[in-house]
Amino acid sequence: MTLVIRGDMSDLVAEDAAAAPVRVLLVEDDEVIRTTVAMALERYGYRVAVAGDGLAGLERFQEVRPDVMLLDVMLPGLDGIGLCRRIRESSMTPILMMSARGDALDVVAGLEAGADDYVVKPADTSVLVARIRALLRRASFVPEPAGAGEPLGDLLVFGDLVIDPGGLEVSLAGRPVALAPTELRLLLVFAARPGIVLDRQTLLTDVWDYGWDGDSRVVDLCVQRLRRKIGPDRIETVRGFGYKLRR
Amino acid sequence: MRDTAARAVRHLLNWRSLRWKIAALVTVASCAVALAVGLLVHRSTYERSMNVGGGRAMTALYAELQNYRRTGSTFAAEPPETIPLPLRQQIDTAGDPVVWYDGHPDKPWMWAAVRLGDSPVAVRVDMGTDLRSRQALDRHIVIAALGTLAAVVPLAALAAELLNRRLRRVARTARRIAAGDLDARTTRRATAGGPAARAGGRGDEIAEISATVDSMADSLQARLLSEQRFTADVAHELRTPLMGLVTATELLPESAAAVLVRDRVQVVRSLVEDLLEISRLDAGAERADLRRVPLASVIEGTLARTGLTACLTVTGAPTAETDPRRLDRIVTNLLVNAHRHGRPPVEITVTGREITVHDHGPGFPPSLLAHGPQRFRTGTPERGQGHGLGLTIAQGQSRVIGATLVFANPPAGGATATLRL
Repeated sequence: MTLVIRGDMSDLVAEDAAAAPVRVLLVEDDEVIRTTVAMALERYGYRVAVAGDGLAGLERFQEVRPDVMLLDVMLPGLDGIGLCRRIRESSMTPILMMSARGDALDVVAGLEAGADDYVVKPADTSVLVARIRALLRRASFVPEPAGAGEPLGDLLVFGDLVIDPGGLEVSLAGRPVALAPTELRLLLVFAARPGIVLDRQTLLTDVWDYGWDGDSRVVDLCVQRLRRKIGPDRIETVRGFGYKLRR
Repeated sequence: MRDTAARAVRHLLNWRSLRWKIAALVTVASCAVALAVGLLVHRSTYERSMNVGGGRAMTALYAELQNYRRTGSTFAAEPPETIPLPLRQQIDTAGDPVVWYDGHPDKPWMWAAVRLGDSPVAVRVDMGTDLRSRQALDRHIVIAALGTLAAVVPLAALAAELLNRRLRRVARTARRIAAGDLDARTTRRATAGGPAARAGGRGDEIAEISATVDSMADSLQARLLSEQRFTADVAHELRTPLMGLVTATELLPESAAAVLVRDRVQVVRSLVEDLLEISRLDAGAERADLRRVPLASVIEGTLARTGLTACLTVTGAPTAETDPRRLDRIVTNLLVNAHRHGRPPVEITVTGREITVHDHGPGFPPSLLAHGPQRFRTGTPERGQGHGLGLTIAQGQSRVIGATLVFANPPAGGATATLRL
């Protein structure tokens, strides 16, 4: 967590800047953080747009159409959680929440509102960049050949839930379901191993690219969100172990 | 299932229970009342029966005397030699007619006698039916008393059970509050404007104690909430400028001064995090996220992340139901402490549910052994510098995961911290 990348960052810059620059929208009310984080991220080759409060953030979001959003929880006007909810109504852009309070309430509220991940302030730029990369990888997710003998491109069918791992589309009873990148990736990880219990650590590693120190609440809350969208009893909780997708 | 049944039976058979005490009290009281009433009734019927018997005997005696005066002979009088000795003595001393009850257990007689000249004249009336009717009355009183007891004692036990149940609910609630469930109340919450359903309360002492426990829980919860809010606000106020500082220092061009500044910023940052962690622990805001983990791999991971050298010995393949993040935090702090204040080699031993961190330094200071870790106290100067928060956090976190952390200086030297999960 406390690793600070110093010295020559040209290799990192090259890696991220090779493709079209990634657009990041940073919504943060503290001016120093806004300026310094924007500068630090620009050094990594991101194109950063900023906003100082929730409503301005919403406006900038419509303008910029960012690839990823960094959102402070406590904002004047429309707060981070409300903003997150508003954006989720229309868009599946990956959202990373930044919380200075770091208590359960903030984190849970943020993740319930549809954020994909969170960091507790103060966060090193290297940590922010690592999380942004993980989010982007999830957003441009290309699944490995699914397990359970399903060839790539074939539809995975669980009752009236149909998953197309090639086209990254999910439909429930014939109607398409809009899933955020994290939710989609979580569902695909479950679908690759139906009927098998996956523990939270495995899910944190496979879906969130976390190492050891992941907060298992992100898993629980994302599973809850997924359940709300695909039906409450498809993903079973196995107490003390984890979750499994019903065959 | 069997467990709860066994507990219920044990509950029922607990002779110290209020239920049995109240039942015993009611039994004793009912017995006392029955005995007193029985004795009084017995006594007054006895007296009445004596009076009536005496009257009958006297009437018979006067009839006999009149007979005697008229005819000069006695018909019904008992032969003088059959007159019992005590009666004879009484009529010898008294001039008036005497009534005497012989008190024979089976065939009692009531005597009336008078001295007539030299010879005593005595008549007797049978008191046998009288005795039997009194005995029957006594029997009826005993049966009625036993019948009443048989009805009243179970009723008392039942009434006591109702009280008991309310008291047990209060005890259960208090236990839940003590265990950290601050939403526990003895009364069901009032629903939108409706009155609260008291624990069967009718304004008695139990209702009072329930209300007291509830208001205690309310104030405890309010205090805890405000403390948690305060900690969260402090965290926000400290971390926001700190984040600006951290990112700003990362932007500094490389120089010796920049390294110095970054280093100090890291120190301030870890100090702030430690303080926030301690205040969260103090506010009771921390909840463990328990799951079953293999201890060996968790400790290995911790060791790898700290970058410190230590010799790890694991016996068997121990697993434990714990919060791995907090366990990691505890072991990290113990390791850092052992390196900072002790001397290598540092050894970690995992046996069963026990994790021991041992170093070969001068040992823990006596004040730490006596009072446990205290913030901002590092004991003696030779134990080096540090803000003394690491072990306080380790102790607080082990409390959160329900483990005990014991510090000791073994006789062979060095310092040993033992964490029992």
